[in-house]
Amino acid sequence: MLKDYHCNINYIRNFSIIAHIDHGKSTIADRLLEYTGTIPEREKKEQILDDMDLEREKGITIKSKSVRLYYHSKDGKEYILNLIDTPGHVDFYYEVSRSLAACEGALLIIDASQGVQAQTLSNIHLAIKNNLKIIPIINKIDLANANPEKVMQELKNIPELKGEKIIFASAKEGIGTSDILEAIVNRIPPPSGKPNLPLRALIFDSVYNSYKGTIVYIKMVDGIIKPEMVIQTMSNKKNYEVTEIGIFRPKMQPIKILTAGEVGYIMAGFKNIKDTRVGDTITDTVNPAQKILSGYKKVTPLVFCSIYPIDNKEYENLKIALEKLKLNDSSIFSEPETSQALGFGFRCGFLGLLHMEIVQERLEREYNINLIATTPSVMYKITKKNSEIVEISNPTAFPSKIEIEKIEEPYVKASILTPSQYIGVIMDLVQEKRGFFKNIEYIDEKIARLDYDLPLNEIILDFYDKLKSRSSGYASLDYELKGYQAAELVKVDILVNHELVDALSFIVHKVKAYQQARKIVEKLKEIIPRQLYEVPIQASIERKVIARETIKALKKDVLAKCYGGDITRKRKLLEKQKAGKKE
Amino acid sequence: MNLGLYLHFPFCKSKCYYCDFNSYPLKNDHQVLSYISALHKEIALYSQKLNHSTIKTIYLGGGTPTILSGDLIYNILNFCKDNFKIENNAEITIEANPGTLDKKKLERLNKAKINRISLGAQSFNDSLLKKLGRIHTAQDIIDSYFKARESGFNNINIDIMFALPDQTFIDFQNTMKKAVSLKPDHLSLYNLTIEKGTKFLESYKEGKLNLPTEDEEYDMYSWAIQFLAENNFEHYEISNFAQPFKRSIHNQIYWYNQPYLGIGAGAYSFIKGYRYMNYKDPVRYIKEINNGKSPVDSGEKLSLRKRMSETIILGLRTKDGVNYQKFKVRFKINIEKVFNQQIYKLINLGLLRKNNYKIQLTKKGLFLANNVFREFID
Repeated sequence: MLKDYHCNINYIRNFSIIAHIDHGKSTIADRLLEYTGTIPEREKKEQILDDMDLEREKGITIKSKSVRLYYHSKDGKEYILNLIDTPGHVDFYYEVSRSLAACEGALLIIDASQGVQAQTLSNIHLAIKNNLKIIPIINKIDLANANPEKVMQELKNIPELKGEKIIFASAKEGIGTSDILEAIVNRIPPPSGKPNLPLRALIFDSVYNSYKGTIVYIKMVDGIIKPEMVIQTMSNKKNYEVTEIGIFRPKMQPIKILTAGEVGYIMAGFKNIKDTRVGDTITDTVNPAQKILSGYKKVTPLVFCSIYPIDNKEYENLKIALEKLKLNDSSIFSEPETSQALGFGFRCGFLGLLHMEIVQERLEREYNINLIATTPSVMYKITKKNSEIVEISNPTAFPSKIEIEKIEEPYVKASILTPSQYIGVIMDLVQEKRGFFKNIEYIDEKIARLDYDLPLNEIILDFYDKLKSRSSGYASLDYELKGYQAAELVKVDILVNHELVDALSFIVHKVKAYQQARKIVEKLKEIIPRQLYEVPIQASIERKVIARETIKALKKDVLAKCYGGDITRKRKLLEKQKAGKKE
Repeated sequence: MNLGLYLHFPFCKSKCYYCDFNSYPLKNDHQVLSYISALHKEIALYSQKLNHSTIKTIYLGGGTPTILSGDLIYNILNFCKDNFKIENNAEITIEANPGTLDKKKLERLNKAKINRISLGAQSFNDSLLKKLGRIHTAQDIIDSYFKARESGFNNINIDIMFALPDQTFIDFQNTMKKAVSLKPDHLSLYNLTIEKGTKFLESYKEGKLNLPTEDEEYDMYSWAIQFLAENNFEHYEISNFAQPFKRSIHNQIYWYNQPYLGIGAGAYSFIKGYRYMNYKDPVRYIKEINNGKSPVDSGEKLSLRKRMSETIILGLRTKDGVNYQKFKVRFKINIEKVFNQQIYKLINLGLLRKNNYKIQLTKKGLFLANNVFREFID
């Protein structure tokens, strides 16, 4: 039977773990679960909270997750610890910020060999913004190249962490686990809500389950919630009857009541995941709260591309697969689209590049659909001469030059953290990418933070890879959307054998149009097979050709041998080639 | 009915890296003897059925038929003579690998009325020979060639391969010059292709095979055509070149889509519109024969359409092309009634040429022959 803890909010601690990718967040979580006996020995597997294949493979968390631990502290009392695991990547910034809003404290994990990263700093800022108590932990101290003293010095130089005691740990070796649990109990404050006020619960995630419908993850702020209560999502004033509530152990376990301070889930016959948006507040329809919890906003996709099935017969399957993915991830945007070159497909929007990659990979892997994706693009704002403003992400829909008064593109505020010897090369890189320098700040004598305004368009291509390769992997990047700025952009079309291939068109800054165009025509020259005649590949702006390559005509294609038995084999080979060419 | 007879010998000393033929490294003599005995039985099976037919040519292929002793070869051919009606002065060819011929064996072959030798030289560059997995050197080729000449063989073919891994244009020219300097009567020139189940395919997949580009292949092939023409060779089939009156009669049977009988493991036959194949695995082949069963594994009755298209595809491989009159006599229909559209499309592409009697490949069509053949395939 469940112990009856819900009455005393003072024995609840809600915390999250924040870390740069690979600094060991999931392993720390595993140790906490083991130490508190939350996972029976026989169910143990690495990175318990990452249950998607992709999550385990990429070593990243994609969806937020939660688990309740019961911990018998050294002060002799039992505590409820709710761990809310958050996605680690900048693409999921909004989800991270919502998850943090459900906590009172955060474990900040830093790798003892890699030290402070750009994302570490932005994690700290995010935690401070959410009024979280931060417990810094230096992890992986067992590694041969670990340098915990140096990392400790780096941390001490961060003003926000002044006076915080640092814990040394090795999640792999199980070092420091009990220190961490004690710090959670003693240093993180209990939640501040009141059980006797009208219900207010923050939605920090939602998932779709084909048997149970939409399941909403909540942090109880005020009041209580019970089955059969009628509740309301405050942003859209929709009402639902609660069918089940429960907690995470880490599997879902039904419970009779959730009160202020607790973390759990609700099922209430939510039809559509879109009706239960992350960040929204749930209240009691009969006795509603007056004030919505702050911070709710609609997430908008930042990166767009078109996705087509390689085999057009797969279109229906792609449609179904996308719908299924959207059930669990309301941030994916998609609408049907047709291309002359590629047939039927979808224009899709994503939170960022990684998000896009993950969705494409899931479509290919979990739904077995081979895809072609066009170059990623961003959303442009175009003011036409007739003062009409249109938002366009798809180059195909780009108006012609004479219609355009002004084009604006999205900019991000980017901060790059780097060892000081790479500042020069990084400045060059940002310049190539049309960045505006804003500020430089030295964290200590060896590490600097560079602040830039950068066009998002430049980041989504190859910025991150280039940043990593030019800084030998040391520099790290974090960014958030800043707003729109006017830019001189042009649409480049690609023509193969004098015919426009709509799916290959792209939007680029005027200055870089030639360079990009050259790269693409050269690449196409390599991959398009030779034909019986010469095939020109051209890149053009407003019908003016700016780059050209020619695929030379096929010169030799002849089977050397053909004797008695060969004819059967050779005929089959020719039949196969012929069938291949038709498609 | 006139027939070509093919006898297959699926044994080699070792398997070359590019080879996907039905051949296996020889393990022991017992293997050979039980195979030869099965071969005799299969010949005897056809003896009755073909008593109204005349064998015009015999071809002993492999594998390496000359891995057998001279006596065994002699006996098989004698056994053929006992069971079939063989034309006087029939062309009888044996494939030979350099290093498997000696004076004594050559004399026996001569006695067996073998009158044509096809020598698998492949290259005259020792390092390339090694890369192909060949077990002989360039000198072995030269020695074997002259031994054969001295033993009275006056119809010798040399097989050469090109577009080999790491082969340069100069390497290839040197090989061709050496081959021609021996004054062979016939030369077969094959483009290396990477086939399933070969060592080369594995290396290719691992990215370890440095093959010439399509442009380099083109240069080698077109230079060779020119060079051989200058040396009085007639380019009478895509990969085959002959001195005057030295075309391979047996192989022309294939290209003119005429009937042939194949004996041995994996051998194909084409008789009365049927094409069929024996069991490929020699062990299986021997077993079926010894159990008194037919060694035929599979076959198909070719539709009229397929026979017509194969006749065109094979015919277009030759310099003679496809003769309208012969086509009409054979299929009782004008070729243009059936393939008009294809023929004119290919003429417009500059790949095919026609006059009042025949169609044939143009020079461009010769290099792009597959694009022509595909048009005639449904």
